[in-house]
Amino acid sequence: MHGQVGNMRISRRPISSTPIGRAAKQFSKSVGQTVLNAMPSHIFTSERAINTFQKIGKYITPAENRLILGLSAIFLQVGIDAMNHSVDEETRKISMARTAAKVIAGTLTGFAIRKALIKSVDAFSVLPGTLGKNGKPIRRTRLNTFFSPVTKALPDSDEYQNYKNGLGNVLALIVMTFTNFAIDMPLTRFLTNKFAEKGGLNNETSS
Amino acid sequence: MKPLHRLASEFFMDIKNSMMRSFGEDPGKMLLHTGTLGWILSSLAQVTAVVFNDKIPKKQKTFLIPQEIADAAINIGSFYIFTNSFTKLANKMVSTGKWRTPAIDAFLKKYDLKKHIGSIDFNIKELANFDEIRPAYKAIASGNAIAASTIGSIISCNIVTPVLRNKYAAHKQKVAIARMEAKENAAIQSPKGVSMATFIRNAQYRPRSDMKI
Repeated sequence: MHGQVGNMRISRRPISSTPIGRAAKQFSKSVGQTVLNAMPSHIFTSERAINTFQKIGKYITPAENRLILGLSAIFLQVGIDAMNHSVDEETRKISMARTAAKVIAGTLTGFAIRKALIKSVDAFSVLPGTLGKNGKPIRRTRLNTFFSPVTKALPDSDEYQNYKNGLGNVLALIVMTFTNFAIDMPLTRFLTNKFAEKGGLNNETSS
Repeated sequence: MKPLHRLASEFFMDIKNSMMRSFGEDPGKMLLHTGTLGWILSSLAQVTAVVFNDKIPKKQKTFLIPQEIADAAINIGSFYIFTNSFTKLANKMVSTGKWRTPAIDAFLKKYDLKKHIGSIDFNIKELANFDEIRPAYKAIASGNAIAASTIGSIISCNIVTPVLRNKYAAHKQKVAIARMEAKENAAIQSPKGVSMATFIRNAQYRPRSDMKI
C-alpha cells in the first residue's frame, strides 16, 4: 500500500494501523479503562433520578445550556477576577467590570439568538404525519420542510429533536458571528463603563 | 453538468443528513462540536476586530494579534479537552453499563452479560438485541450526555480558562510595565554584580497590604 510522489514513496496505510498508531490506541485504551475502573458503579433505582435524566435530555437545548453557562459564569468568572492578586487593585476592578459585562452581554444575545433559531428550525422541519395545534396532520410544503432531512424511515422523535437543536445552534453561531460586532461589543463597552462607574472607577474602556 | 442551484440544494441536503446522523444520536457530541465551533468563530471575530481596527498602531498590533491568538488557543483547547473528556467518560459510564437503571440491569442479567460491565470494549448499544432495551437506555443516555457536557463546559469556560487567562495576562502586563520602566530608567546604571531587572525590582519593592503573616 504505497504511493509515489516524485522520488518519495508514501505509505497509504491509515495511521491507526502503523505500529505507533497501534501503540497510541492501546495506551489510550488502557488509560480509559483505568479511569473507568476508578469510577463507582451505580444502579439508578429512584424514579425521580430517572425522570431528572429524561427532563435534562428533553428540555436542555443549546439555548438553556448557554443560559446555565452564563449564570454560573457571573459567580465563578467574576469571583476568579476578584481573587486575582497578581494585578493592582484598579486593574482588578476594571477586569471584574469587563468580565461581568462580557458575560451578561454574551449570555443575553447567545440565549435569545439560539432560542429563536431553534424555534425557527422547529417550525420549518415538518415531518410526514406531524400534527398541528388542531390535531390534524400539517400539510407539508417546500417552506415548512426546508430544514427536514431526507430519511428512509421516520426518525425517532428524541433523535429528531436533537437534530433540530443542533442545526438551530449551528445557524445561531453563524448569526452570532455578526451580532458579536453589532450587539455584544457595544453592549459590553456600555455595561463595563456602567459597572466601572459604580465601582468608583471612571476610566473609559474600549472593547 | 448540474446547474448551480441543484448543486447547492444537494449540498444543503448532505449537510442536513450528516447532522441528523451525528447529532441525532448523541446530543452531548452536538453540544461539544457546536461549542467548539462557537469558540472558534468568536475568537476569529476578536482577532479580526484587532486586525481591522485603524485606531491601533501597527507596532501594537504585532503584540495584540499573537496575544488574541494565544487567548483563543487557551479558550478552544481547554473547552475541547475538558468538555470532550467529561462527555466521553459519561457516555462510557452508560454504554458499558456502569451507570444503569434496574431495567438495564435485568436485561444484562437475562443475557448473562453482567461480567462485561465496566469493560471499555463493551457497548450495550452494539448488542444484537439492543432494541429490547432501547427506551430504558435512552431514558438516561441523552440526559446524562447533556449534563456531562454542561458540567465540562462550566469547568473549562468558567474556571480553567479564566484562571489561565489571568495568569497569562498578568505575566504580559508585568513584561510590558518592565519594558516601559526600562526605557524610563535607561540613564540609571545598576550596581556592579546586580542585574538591571533585579535592581529595579528591589528598588520598587512595596509590601502588599493583603499579605498574610
